[in-house]
Amino acid sequence: MQSRSRLALFLAGLVLGASLVPATATAEERTLVRLTQTQYQRAIHELFGASIEVGENVAGVGVRDRGLLAVGTRRQTLSAAELESYEALAQRIAAQVMDPSRRATLIPCSPQSDTAPDADCAGQFISRAGLFLFRRPLTEAETSLYVGVAEAATNTLDDFYSGLSAALAGMLVAPEFLFRVENSEPDPAEPETLRLDAWSRASRLSFFLWDSPPDGQLLAAAESGELLTPEGLNRQVERLLASPRLEDGLRAFFSDMLHFDAFRTLSIDTNIFPRFTKNVEDDAREQTLRTIADHLLNQNGDYRDLFVTRDTFLTPALAAIYGVPLARSQELGGAVPWMPYQFPEGDSRVGLLSHVSFLSLHSHPGRSSPTLRGAAVREIFLCQTVPPPPPDVDFSLVEDTENPNMRTVRERLTEHRTNPVCAGCHSLTDPIGLSLEVFDAASVYRTTENGAPIDTSGELGGSAYEGVVDMAAILRDEPQAASCVINRAFSYGTARGPTRAERTWLGDVQEELSTQGLKWRDLMRTIIQGPDFFTVIAG
Amino acid sequence: MTVRGNGLRRLIRVGVVGLWLPAIALAGTASPAAAETRGYAISMIHTATYGDTDTCPAGMNGGPTEIKQRRLMEKGYSAEEALRIIANDGKDEDGNRVEIQAPAVFDGISTNPANLPSLTPDPGVKLAQGRFALGFNLNGEVEPDSFEHPETGERGIDNQMWRVLGCYDVYTIRRPVRPYNEDIAWDTALDSMPAWLMSVTGEDLDSDGEVTVAFDRALNVAMRDTHGGLLPGATYVIDPDPRSHSEFRGRIEDGILTIEPGDFSIQGESQFYALLRFTNTQLRLRMHSDGSASGIIGGYQPWKDYYTYLAIRGEGTAQVDLPAVYYAMGREADGVPDPVTGENTGISAAYFIEAIPAFHTKLSGEVAAVSVGTGPQYNGTAVHYDAETEGQ
Repeated sequence: MQSRSRLALFLAGLVLGASLVPATATAEERTLVRLTQTQYQRAIHELFGASIEVGENVAGVGVRDRGLLAVGTRRQTLSAAELESYEALAQRIAAQVMDPSRRATLIPCSPQSDTAPDADCAGQFISRAGLFLFRRPLTEAETSLYVGVAEAATNTLDDFYSGLSAALAGMLVAPEFLFRVENSEPDPAEPETLRLDAWSRASRLSFFLWDSPPDGQLLAAAESGELLTPEGLNRQVERLLASPRLEDGLRAFFSDMLHFDAFRTLSIDTNIFPRFTKNVEDDAREQTLRTIADHLLNQNGDYRDLFVTRDTFLTPALAAIYGVPLARSQELGGAVPWMPYQFPEGDSRVGLLSHVSFLSLHSHPGRSSPTLRGAAVREIFLCQTVPPPPPDVDFSLVEDTENPNMRTVRERLTEHRTNPVCAGCHSLTDPIGLSLEVFDAASVYRTTENGAPIDTSGELGGSAYEGVVDMAAILRDEPQAASCVINRAFSYGTARGPTRAERTWLGDVQEELSTQGLKWRDLMRTIIQGPDFFTVIAG
Repeated sequence: MTVRGNGLRRLIRVGVVGLWLPAIALAGTASPAAAETRGYAISMIHTATYGDTDTCPAGMNGGPTEIKQRRLMEKGYSAEEALRIIANDGKDEDGNRVEIQAPAVFDGISTNPANLPSLTPDPGVKLAQGRFALGFNLNGEVEPDSFEHPETGERGIDNQMWRVLGCYDVYTIRRPVRPYNEDIAWDTALDSMPAWLMSVTGEDLDSDGEVTVAFDRALNVAMRDTHGGLLPGATYVIDPDPRSHSEFRGRIEDGILTIEPGDFSIQGESQFYALLRFTNTQLRLRMHSDGSASGIIGGYQPWKDYYTYLAIRGEGTAQVDLPAVYYAMGREADGVPDPVTGENTGISAAYFIEAIPAFHTKLSGEVAAVSVGTGPQYNGTAVHYDAETEGQ
């Protein structure tokens, strides 16, 4: 217990000390983007192996800025309580790394004595781990700091590995690990502008495409300066785009864009919707991500066709919601079976908007919501802003689902819109959402509400339509749908919104890619190789 | 990640209702070309009890405490002494363990009397004698001691199972209460036992008309909804084992499904009914507007089948005097006489049964029955997978 307290003191000192160490002497502008839970986990697993138990770390969901958490993370700080939790996690991870069963493979040397400091051996481990954890080589000052921590802790605890564990735990709570620290330097071609340095380029590339810290090859390309040349950059970009790990990056981007963090608080009333089992909830997110990954990566499909595709993947639990026979040939055991499935022509299940992950995520717990769904379509897929309702609005009419005179939500909303304060926003959201009313809050298909037939007609972008299939087709061809995902992707990769000039360039990108097909790899390549992906915007 | 390769693509089976329905597995029957087959999964089944004020004029058989108390009193203890021993975990005032029930001894080997009830004396049982019982008139006769159906008023109801069990506390109940032992047996079995299925085939199942009714066992276990019941719209693969396949001609009239008597057999699991089978089976199910169905199935059941179920549960859970029930069932059995001894091997019985909509497929993946209800609508496309894709 006493030893543990002393260790904690070391770590507390380290956090303060490490944050004072300048990362590079040439830094002109630094931005910090906090690692997500997944990125943290990948960083640990890629360096020390997947057997290291990371569990749930303390990184909160964060705030959404410009439609993306990835942009919001730039404004995310670290509270004292979070730091304390990170410290506890760091100690657990460090202890696993130093476990006798792992030392031989994870520590590149053996100390001269197990009970005495060995600066040489400690330095070897710290330098190598530091390169991958900080995503750049440690400075001499940093190396000295952590070797010193290892030495002091070894003397205190009479154990080399406990001492090294203290140093590793210190690195794991350093801002340079918990945050992507992006350092800039003057661009030699345009000295008045700043560009990311090579190490920060490697990180930006890797987190953008793989949702992961840079691997050894990318770090080597940064060290050699390869990443600062167009040819070298292209070589690395093509390598990353060709890797199966591209799917990790794609999943992370769409999880962010589609607001899948909301699954943490999804609350469909299972008393009203007993089919909405935990399996459905678990599988819904995966269904959409699997569909997107298959369409964009395996099929090399056009992003816009995600609005109209009938191809997806199902599990038995989802199949029961969708009304599809999907059985298992074995009675017990095995992993969750994901099966490719194609909804037939004429079926209302078309595109991402008919997935449980969209329909239920944008419903109230006990009832569907055309307004929430319509707002989500506009905000998520068209990058539009729908203002929140005024604070004193009376929702009683809309919520009265048992009103015998207004059996459908279309009737209730029509009455609600007679209030001019409400009419403005509802005219934007409701026509879209009402077409999706054939799916209840649990995403189960229906044709009536309270016995009254559901009218699925609506209007989008000036085009009238009869039902969800037609609406999806209009959305597919809506130019804003293409520009939205392009802008989101740029913002996701740079962790900032585009400037006015960049928006103009992104408009050109949209025009070009819309003509030749909005393919995912093309989009990634175009954004990275564009003029501004590595440009640093001051402030 | 999953790759949608050719191997997987060919596993996507596309069929149109009108194309596959004529091929529905009604092997060996001459049923007309069917227009529709609806699938169900059995969501509940238990003995059909109907406790009433006049059910037990001779008194009750009680439950586990009363059964033990009677056994101790037969050994000479007073009623109060017996209760004290039971409360003292089977020990007398001196702390000595009291043998409440003597073991059955066969060939010098002592065993639980429930295993060899015929080697223990018959303790006797008070029979249900009220006016009402659920079930069917299986022999077509209205005898003086036969029951009357409490809902339809039909006379001549044969339910000797109820006569034997109806005065035990655990059975002298009425819906929605279920016999405790069967309730927990079913709930326990549900997550491990292959599901039980029913299908109804007919020209227009929303109208009156002739139908074919089939019962099968699935190869996969039941899927539950958030209420702990069965999940509507789930899919089950039909076990091709003919030992769990039963088929009947039937009729729907005013929303009530009935069948022409025949043999019924389905395999279960030992903690539940290892085997549920009837001869002269009858069925009366109400088809509900939400796609579910509920009612009664019954017939002559081999009485030793039910005794075996009780014995496996043990007296602690079954909550009946097992030797007493054993003797009573043998005495009260009223059907299927043994061709050699002439003793009846079947006892008239009735079970509540509930079913919810479900898809059925054959092993090949071909859809055999469609889930119909207030839920999702099936559009004619099916998907299945086999060992090649298992666990993707």
